[in-house]
Amino acid sequence: MSDEQRTPVTLGGLSEDDPHLQPASAHPKRAEAIIAVTMFLGLVLCAAFGACYWVNAAPWTLGATLGGGLSFLGIGMAAWGKYLMPRGPFVEQRHPLAASQDEREAFVGSIVQRGGSLMKRRKLLGGLLGGGLGIFSVVAIFPLLRSLGPLPKGTLFHTDWRKDSYVVDQGGRRVSVGDLAVGSIMTVFPEGTEDTDRGQAVDQTVLIRVSNESFTTQKGRESWAPMGYVAYSKLCTHLGCPVGLYEQQLQLLVCPCHQSMFDVTNGAIPNFGPAPRPLPQLPLYIDAAGFLRSQDGYNQPVGPGFWERA
Amino acid sequence: MTRSALTRLGATAFIAVLGCAPVLLLATGAHAAGKPPYQTTRKNAGTPNSSQVVTGANGQVIRYGNGAITYTNPSPGLTQLGEALFQENCATCHGVEANGVPAAGTTGAFPNLVGLGSATIDFWIESGRMPATNPRVVEAVRRTPRLTHDQALAIAAWINSLSPAYPAIPTVHLANANVSDGAALFAENCASCHTIEGIGDALAKSTFSPSLRHIPATQVAEAIRTGPANMPRFTGNLSDYQVRDIVKYVTTEIEHPRNPGGFGLGGLGPVAEGFVGLALGVGVLALAGFWVGERQ
Repeated sequence: MSDEQRTPVTLGGLSEDDPHLQPASAHPKRAEAIIAVTMFLGLVLCAAFGACYWVNAAPWTLGATLGGGLSFLGIGMAAWGKYLMPRGPFVEQRHPLAASQDEREAFVGSIVQRGGSLMKRRKLLGGLLGGGLGIFSVVAIFPLLRSLGPLPKGTLFHTDWRKDSYVVDQGGRRVSVGDLAVGSIMTVFPEGTEDTDRGQAVDQTVLIRVSNESFTTQKGRESWAPMGYVAYSKLCTHLGCPVGLYEQQLQLLVCPCHQSMFDVTNGAIPNFGPAPRPLPQLPLYIDAAGFLRSQDGYNQPVGPGFWERA
Repeated sequence: MTRSALTRLGATAFIAVLGCAPVLLLATGAHAAGKPPYQTTRKNAGTPNSSQVVTGANGQVIRYGNGAITYTNPSPGLTQLGEALFQENCATCHGVEANGVPAAGTTGAFPNLVGLGSATIDFWIESGRMPATNPRVVEAVRRTPRLTHDQALAIAAWINSLSPAYPAIPTVHLANANVSDGAALFAENCASCHTIEGIGDALAKSTFSPSLRHIPATQVAEAIRTGPANMPRFTGNLSDYQVRDIVKYVTTEIEHPRNPGGFGLGGLGPVAEGFVGLALGVGVLALAGFWVGERQ
């Protein structure tokens, strides 16, 4: 390439066959073929994403097809600009902020004309890119159809804890009164939900044994913690993380996500961190056979706040 | 020109990263969740079944346990030595009667040791936390023990003689332990505080959960059964067989992490990993940007 061809020129007034307007690549045909293959792959993968979504395929196929499709289209666009657009270099001289009316019309005219001619010169690539982006714009609407999930309706307000639910551990065994020593903790569920997604998600409860004496966490909850067995919802009232860190000397439950701290001896009132409300307490009793059971369900929604929560 | 070599390198790196992305997605997506084994039996959890207890002439418990863990009390013959060692090393804070009332101090400032099993005493002394360097610190840290194993046993023997209690000092039989069950139990019971890597983490009010690396099997079992300081006790909710599996996991997999990704990054979790990801990701983006902007 000669020095003259590398001299920056202004874009206006160049003839069609000026070397500055030639494609940057020395082999435009080969470059176009490679870019066409890339864009075709992008187009196919975008379409494949739509198909995968439609048949509800595994999540990794969605990620691979969408990521791959957009990546190939992006590589194609970058390579198009890099290898097939006029090589330049061009300069644009500073000019008065407002150009004259004639100059503006001429500018618009030249942009439209030259842009159009450049697009016409690469009909295949333009078509492929348009097709790929067109398909993507259609499949991009798909998530609105299903991915937002079903409406929760009333399920946010109640857990599966009912009157007289048996307290069971992760393995489904009923917890009896001799099971925990003072200073112990375990995660419990209402019987029958320990293996379900919903049980694991909303019913999980921490059972702590704080002392052998009868124990009241707050006024009005005198009978809720028989023999020192106290149960709180395991869902942080901030964002729903499992509050599983129990410090038995400080009598604190700590949330691992944002370090909210709940006072076990005082109704799990948060005394540090972003949690806005105490953990709901589950009223327990010990039945005649010595099993721990719930007097009733939680008296308020568990977990983080939501729109309709009072 | 060196620039074109750099360009080619950048393009290669960019495409290599793009090529790896689906593989990574596949690796994370194909993870299959198996049902962990929970066969909790609540018998013999640090306290003896009557059938398994071996008692001495005076009725004191010598030994109990099963195929997973044997709990042994130190020999009563050590009691006299233990009392002398206690008065020398411990009585300043815990009091001459080990009841937490020092001679010239305030009641309740220091723990009462009467009625704690020998495992508790053994754990605190053999982990080097006691005798404390500074009795006022929020949380005693593990260090080289000041007293020997035999001295710890002697002190445990004396305190146990004041008011015999459970649990005794565990010996864990790791031969038949199931490390996979141990991993599941560790994730369920221990990882919330000690982290899934077992390196410990900060907790409330200047306390922290210590690292679980380089800890003898006996001390792991003692900590589970006795709940030192702020750690909860695990008694009825973990059988001796489950404790044995956890101890096996802690002394093998936590002790020697495999790091299948190549770099453990100190097990510090998402923050450290995020910084590395940021550095690599920005680097790759910079190379890609260089490739896009470079003209012939």
